[in-house]
Amino acid sequence: MNRPVPSRGWVRRASRFVLGALFVYFGLAKALDPAGFLKLLRQFDLLPGPFALNLTAAVLPWCEMLCGAALVFGLRVQAAALAVLVMLASFTIAVTVRAWSIYQTGPLSFCAIHFDCGCGSGEVVICVKLLQNTALAALAGLVVAGSTESRGDDPT
Amino acid sequence: MSPRAFTFREILRDSVVLLLAGIAVGLVANGISPRGLSLRRDYFAGLNRPGAGHATSESRAASFARAPAVASESTGINAARRVRLAARGIDLADHARAVELFRDGDYVAGRIVFIDARDDVHFKAGHIRGAWQLDHYRLEQHLTEILGACAIAERIVVYCNGGECEDSELAANDLLQFGVPATKLLVYAGGITEWTSQGMPIETGSRASGQSLP
Repeated sequence: MNRPVPSRGWVRRASRFVLGALFVYFGLAKALDPAGFLKLLRQFDLLPGPFALNLTAAVLPWCEMLCGAALVFGLRVQAAALAVLVMLASFTIAVTVRAWSIYQTGPLSFCAIHFDCGCGSGEVVICVKLLQNTALAALAGLVVAGSTESRGDDPT
Repeated sequence: MSPRAFTFREILRDSVVLLLAGIAVGLVANGISPRGLSLRRDYFAGLNRPGAGHATSESRAASFARAPAVASESTGINAARRVRLAARGIDLADHARAVELFRDGDYVAGRIVFIDARDDVHFKAGHIRGAWQLDHYRLEQHLTEILGACAIAERIVVYCNGGECEDSELAANDLLQFGVPATKLLVYAGGITEWTSQGMPIETGSRASGQSLP
């Protein structure tokens, strides 16, 4: 039976608070300007057709906010962290593919590429973004791996 | 009662439920919000058409560089835009042409019209004095009054932020769709960024608010 490791409890709580707050913030920034998010999403050229593009722009910010809120309020934290991890992985692949396509068209070094990825944080330098996402994924992984919460709820 | 650990299967199931709940909330919010998107509308119809002169990857790449040559960036973007607009019979206007039209006596008389294709927040923060607003993503908001103004106008200048902004082009396409002749339309590619950088006057708040900068 997995028992909580006291010295790691606060790390996990801090992780879910940070992760949750960031996802609520990023989601809110997009949800308040769905047209702006739609324009940025289109630049990735990954979604097949207008309906998929519009639907993603309309609902993705709310998925982020809901998962973020669940993490902040300690509800189904492992499930929320797993969902966040999946979203982070998808976003990271998307920004990497886009940055790589830009990299291949010009003489720029990969890390010199910067653009507004539609992540909710404005314009980013790709290498910084990848590091940020890796750090956030590590936090999400830490929360997913935790098994101390009764029924996955952790109101502390 | 001691805490019970979740199995991965349960965590996975709850994750799916959370994401589905997010989708449901998102759909409801999108449906009731005035900023909501129309899910079936192709917002980029004029830009996606094959052979319509989509911005080249080179021109896009130039704008992603940290310190690109600004002139080559805008040249590349405008070349692609010019091709797309020319396919519809619409001309690009440079800054000098936009200023000339702004200072023309016909502007006050309503025979020249400026249309700002940005959203409410940007429009209210500052637009070309006397410009109308036409937000491509919320067409229903201003379309009736805009079409009235366009019916009288002989020249219509549409602009947005400038640079990579495509909203002016999309708004010009909207006007075409609603029967405004292409020969009347001009897209001011430099947009509000070039306008303000050249020290031209802007108006804040709503149209004809009388609040001018500088």
